[in-house]
Amino acid sequence: MQSELLDFKGRLHPLTLLFGILKGLRGIPLIPLVFFGGRWTWVLPILFMFTVISILSAFIRYFSFSYHIQGNELITQQGIIERKQRIIPLERVQEISIEQSVFQRLFDVVEAKIETGGGQGAEATLSVLSRSEADRLRRAVFDRVEAIKARGVDPELVQPPIPRERMVIHRLGINDLVIAGLTTNHLVSAMVLAGALWNFADDILPDTIYQRAADIIYSLTRQLAAQGAMQAIIIAAVGVFSILVIGLLFSILGSILLFYGFTFSRRGEDLHRAYGLFTQRASSLPRHRIQVLKIEEKMMRRLFGLATLRADTSGRTRENEDDNEGRDVLIPIVKRAAIDQLLPVIFPDYISDRAEWKRVSKLAIRRGMVKGGIFCLLVASALFTYQREFIALWPLLFLPIIYLVNLIRYRNLGYAMGDLYFRTRHGWLGRSTQIVPINKIQAVEVSQTPFDRRLGLATMSVDTAGQAFTGGGPHVTNLPIAEAQTIAATLAQRAGTTNYKW
Amino acid sequence: MIEEAREEQITNGQSFSAGGEFRSLDPRVVKLWLVTDLIGYGFLLSIMLISLLVWMLVQPLLSLWLIAGWVVLAGICLWFSFWRPSRAYRAWSYRIDKQVLETRSGIVFHRTRLLPLSRLQHVDLERGPLERMYGLSSLVLHTAGTHSANLRIPGLDAHEAVLLRDRLVEIGGEDAV
Repeated sequence: MQSELLDFKGRLHPLTLLFGILKGLRGIPLIPLVFFGGRWTWVLPILFMFTVISILSAFIRYFSFSYHIQGNELITQQGIIERKQRIIPLERVQEISIEQSVFQRLFDVVEAKIETGGGQGAEATLSVLSRSEADRLRRAVFDRVEAIKARGVDPELVQPPIPRERMVIHRLGINDLVIAGLTTNHLVSAMVLAGALWNFADDILPDTIYQRAADIIYSLTRQLAAQGAMQAIIIAAVGVFSILVIGLLFSILGSILLFYGFTFSRRGEDLHRAYGLFTQRASSLPRHRIQVLKIEEKMMRRLFGLATLRADTSGRTRENEDDNEGRDVLIPIVKRAAIDQLLPVIFPDYISDRAEWKRVSKLAIRRGMVKGGIFCLLVASALFTYQREFIALWPLLFLPIIYLVNLIRYRNLGYAMGDLYFRTRHGWLGRSTQIVPINKIQAVEVSQTPFDRRLGLATMSVDTAGQAFTGGGPHVTNLPIAEAQTIAATLAQRAGTTNYKW
Repeated sequence: MIEEAREEQITNGQSFSAGGEFRSLDPRVVKLWLVTDLIGYGFLLSIMLISLLVWMLVQPLLSLWLIAGWVVLAGICLWFSFWRPSRAYRAWSYRIDKQVLETRSGIVFHRTRLLPLSRLQHVDLERGPLERMYGLSSLVLHTAGTHSANLRIPGLDAHEAVLLRDRLVEIGGEDAV
């Protein structure tokens, strides 16, 4: 068995040449054309040069690229003049995710992205491999990783056999995806897209069609406007409504395109997600790589008792919170009640950890009110000085609403300190819960703004690997300073007595 | 060079007990920060002055006000360079308590950072040219975290920094669970 594991080599699939050439061809014509307009004689030799260069580099990249597994490392090599060698320790490989665009599917080739704990995204991208080769690579890497781990383990301990089949935990059908599309917070951006598309129609559609459509709409509007302001309002409402509908349709379409056939399954320690319509994605995630689990109940979804499950893992960077390719999403949409059953699957020792939610200081409500109140006051006084009428003070009517918002926010704010897991929660319309295994905590911080200091409060935050967006990690605001220091110290000590496993 | 000094220090027995009391930075850091701030602000102010002078040659409008404004700004920077370092020094403290390194800092925004030493990935010892002049150095502690990935303790006496580093690595390496 050992000898089997020793020798593993591979090259990219020959079709890499084709894709590389196509990529090169695609990139060229635009820039020179933009610059030189119709002066073809200038452009042609430059075009030719660019094409030759990109084809040549595609050739070089394909022929010089190789990878092999040696000892405990995966080594990729590239380049002829400048040999670039990348050494990836196998135990640092978090995940090898497989992606396949529509075009690649025609030829049954895939892209394999190797991600490690560095958090810089893909450490190495193998584009393209045949699907069987990708699976072979995946198996080779993860079998070796298991072998490495097994060597470090007390042979007295009996390892449970790793099951060969996947246990499907959750599947999403078209209905779920439609609901996901209908309830997304992206609605605004979907509507913006719809609006932008209307502008584009101007450029894309032949002038005559656009003109005729515009004429019809204008004449209709004029007719109805002539019949009074009411009709005009109705038309405007219809216009807004149709943009809304188009936006919703886009959203549903996007949801289906992205998460089609979503399957969340488990095989031993491995959580597996497969989804996508045009670009199919499949990725594995060992359970213990999850640093923070987030249960997101955004406004619309919360209304229907739905939520999104996301995970921060140590091999992942996210540029922004709405990572559109869904890479950090464990399950895009799921019933909130069902999550309690799912948690033990993701965190095997979670069931024993039923700590209670603790609230923060009530002063939080006062602070929110003060902030909101000052804002309203400013707006009201600005309007008042401008308009000189009492009616201009209408922003003050928002004060009771501000109180309500802050009350709700206060009730949703809290933390729960268990033996093995630390939870935080916040939000008002939407609600977000974060669960951190204490052994994943890297550092803890207690900070006080000058306002915090005056009120004797503090913010406590927990740092883990793998968060890259500016949302911040698990944190609790408005804690009494003594309590914050105590919790922080407890968490730090508990974290310190556990070993951090990549 | 630092390593030789370290061997001398072992006999002095400057150890950090694990049931920690808070320690301060080295007092020389106040002067270091003063000098650094002066140099930094001086640089910015001179660039500003040069551009102001050029502006005045071209457009003599408001010259007096501009110069007056610059003088005021320079005065504020000067005062700040003297005020901040001692306040920052007083705000800084650190200790090792039960295998956790705790640092407190911040004049306006108070910040307590706790680093479980078993999470310590590695420690950098940094000495800029000015720090070297004052016999100081900074320790930068690295974890696998994202926001607190680098924890910096400035203004440590160079010998003590080496001792502290060794102590931190030692505690961090002690086998936990």
